[in-house]
Amino acid sequence: MNASFVEKSVWVQVTALIAVLGGYFWTAKQMFMAGVMDIRAYVAVFAVSVVMLVIVLVAGHIVVAITSRGDFSDERDRLIAWRAEALSSWVMGIGILSAISAMIVGVETVLVAHLLLLSLLLSEILANGLRILFYRRGV
Amino acid sequence: MPKRALPIGNCIRALRAEHEDMTQQHLADRIGVTRQTIIAIEASKYSPSLEVAFRIADVFGVPLESVFQYLPERTA
Repeated sequence: MNASFVEKSVWVQVTALIAVLGGYFWTAKQMFMAGVMDIRAYVAVFAVSVVMLVIVLVAGHIVVAITSRGDFSDERDRLIAWRAEALSSWVMGIGILSAISAMIVGVETVLVAHLLLLSLLLSEILANGLRILFYRRGV
Repeated sequence: MPKRALPIGNCIRALRAEHEDMTQQHLADRIGVTRQTIIAIEASKYSPSLEVAFRIADVFGVPLESVFQYLPERTA
């Protein structure tokens, strides 16, 4: 792939987020379907997922650093990051508003917490996806 | 994936050839950007900042308008 260190880093981030946190949400769904309503049970699983995410990100970035030529971040990387953030932040906003609404109508705490987490995850995936699109298509 | 050409054209590739086949990496190092940014500029997939544009012109020792051209017909 003819990509800079930063672009490869974005690929690592989006892949790790989808794989690890996607796995967490799949597990959480199974737990919820099984009737687990104690949020502390989810916190333990989430903590394990975060540790796994950090390990995958560190390992991925080591590989990327080895296969890159000591690139750095330049004005194009910054512009792409800014545009992607500007176009993806609405997902997090909708998630927060939905979570507040859910709390008002008395939805289970477990669901509200996961709604917030999901909106954060989707916002990050969208931001990274847009960055990849801008790198490939142009900006 | 559809590739978008911006309305700013350039002749950096030709200027590199005229300057002892300067590599994209060499030019990138001279102006302080990554080689991928030079590739994107040459392919009209990225319009550089005014500062980087002036730096590129300075490396080749030519005025800015000899490096970059505005191509309004590319504006959809």
